[in-house]
Amino acid sequence: MKGLFILIFVLIALAQLSVPAWMAWARVQTLAHGRVWKFKTAPVDPEDAVRGRYVRLSYDVDRFTGHEKFQSSDSVYAVLKENAEGFAEVDRLTTEKGDGDNFVKVEAWWRNDSESIAFPLNQYWVTEQDAPAAEKAYAENSRRGQQNAYVTVRVRKGDVALEQLYINNQPLRDFLRAEAQKEKK
Amino acid sequence: MAGSINRRAVRWLRGQLPELVAAGAISSENAAKIEHHYASVETRSNFGFIILATVGAAFLGAGIILIIAHNWDDLSRATRTVIAFIPLVMALALVAFVLLRRNESRPWCEAVAIFDFAAVATAISLISQTYQIQGSFADFMKVWLLLCIPVVYLLRSAFGAVVYAIGLIVWLFAREMAFFVRSPNPMFFWVAFLLIVPYFLLRYWKDRESRECTALSIALVIALTVGMGFTADFAKSDLGCIAFAGLFTAIYLAGIRFFPRSDDRLHIVALLGGIGIGVTAICLSFESSWHMTREFFWGERILQANLAFALEFLFPLAAIALAAIGFSRNRAQFSWPAVVFPIVTAIGWGLANLCDKPAERWLGTRCSFTAAALMNCYALWLGIDILVRGIRAHSVARANFGLLLIAALAISRFFDSELSFVTRGLGFIVVGAGFLVANVLMFKKRSASPA
Repeated sequence: MKGLFILIFVLIALAQLSVPAWMAWARVQTLAHGRVWKFKTAPVDPEDAVRGRYVRLSYDVDRFTGHEKFQSSDSVYAVLKENAEGFAEVDRLTTEKGDGDNFVKVEAWWRNDSESIAFPLNQYWVTEQDAPAAEKAYAENSRRGQQNAYVTVRVRKGDVALEQLYINNQPLRDFLRAEAQKEKK
Repeated sequence: MAGSINRRAVRWLRGQLPELVAAGAISSENAAKIEHHYASVETRSNFGFIILATVGAAFLGAGIILIIAHNWDDLSRATRTVIAFIPLVMALALVAFVLLRRNESRPWCEAVAIFDFAAVATAISLISQTYQIQGSFADFMKVWLLLCIPVVYLLRSAFGAVVYAIGLIVWLFAREMAFFVRSPNPMFFWVAFLLIVPYFLLRYWKDRESRECTALSIALVIALTVGMGFTADFAKSDLGCIAFAGLFTAIYLAGIRFFPRSDDRLHIVALLGGIGIGVTAICLSFESSWHMTREFFWGERILQANLAFALEFLFPLAAIALAAIGFSRNRAQFSWPAVVFPIVTAIGWGLANLCDKPAERWLGTRCSFTAAALMNCYALWLGIDILVRGIRAHSVARANFGLLLIAALAISRFFDSELSFVTRGLGFIVVGAGFLVANVLMFKKRSASPA
């Protein structure tokens, strides 16, 4: 009887350890080997900005609209292409998942006779300390006419990993440090 | 008395018993009696300790999260990943320790189960932060609940089961807030709910009178109520009223059937069912409850929506089955108005659907007025029945609940209808006087009757 309990315990322990480990492993792989895409972030409504300790992101590519109507049970993928400035754009939408490094699963819904999409990467986790400054910096640099923020995203075999948020071409952390230095002076 | 006993002294005394018997100071029968007496004392005082240990474990888990999450921006991703696993590895080591060395200790099992729950949550959220993993809070809850449920069984943790039930409720609400794009599907709730049912049955068979079993049944009843609400919303079939009537009647009857009491009082499960019946009856007495949207026939229907539709009939059928069993054995036990609630609601639903759909959703029809009128008569009957049964059973609480129902019905109608202030005032005076007179009579009767 005790042996059975130990066996069950080992299975539970493996399950509890493997889920977070697998979550981390998949991202580690994608961050190491995935192709880098730069996504320009879009203006946000300031009131909808910080919920807890993350910066809420939205993207230029969210404005893409498709003209093919999908079933509500379909998984919809956006096929990416790079524009002249080096930023990612949506080429087309499809229900077939390819194994290239340019497929991202998106949320899609039919509205006003066209297919609207939302990118799944809308939370950028920051520490409690940095949250207010990060939010302010992001909001100031994602205004209409002053879009200086973008994120780098790694894509590999359909897996997506959000890598870094850049403000004014600097990683968020470096940008915040530089701003804090300026204020001290 | 339990609190005034020195546990160390008890342990010493119990250790002395074999020697005392051997020396002939007391008989072995007496020793067994003493042993039995202190065993009951120990289990009683244990409950408080279990709660304290569990709360302590929860705080410990939360404290670790806060310490780690504070100021770790300077650490590399790899270091953060290792740190994220530390609480979980600690918790699993404790689980192994409890299984091997403290398997019979309730406080150890309960506290370690809760600590493991907290550690799983910590590991997932810290990994999510480190690798910028996306996903709603509802997704997080789902993974967390599924990873934690086996520990409830392994450590036989009643508090773990209660936390799991609360987690299910949190998942239902989190999902509703996270998905604004498509109508959220609540069917995972029923799968996850089924996972906890065998544990509840084990507890029930082992000791249905225990506080752990009672706490778990309260949590499950609340989870079922919330789950049924979201399921009825998802099914879009206008059948929520019958589903809720069936659910509360089934809970009421199950409480009477499966938690019988020697005295005249109701078990908490039956009581919750009864309160549910009363509240639902008052809600359905409003005319606006009977505006039928007929959404069922709009648009495509998916398999899950049809399953939700079928689930709405599960509890009314269970209520009928329980009533039939109860009727064949001891009919005097339950209140008739409570038992026929699903049938009355079904008649109301049929009446409300007789008319054509009005042009605007908020417009009433003759049929919705008829259904509401039926429900008003029913709620009045229910209130009077509870009042009379309460007075007969000398139960002040039940009699007052009956009065409360009647008063709620009266007050609802005052707000509903266009009566003058004088009429409303008179109505309130009548309701208030009713409360006073009934209570005075009951207390007089109580003090007159030999206790």
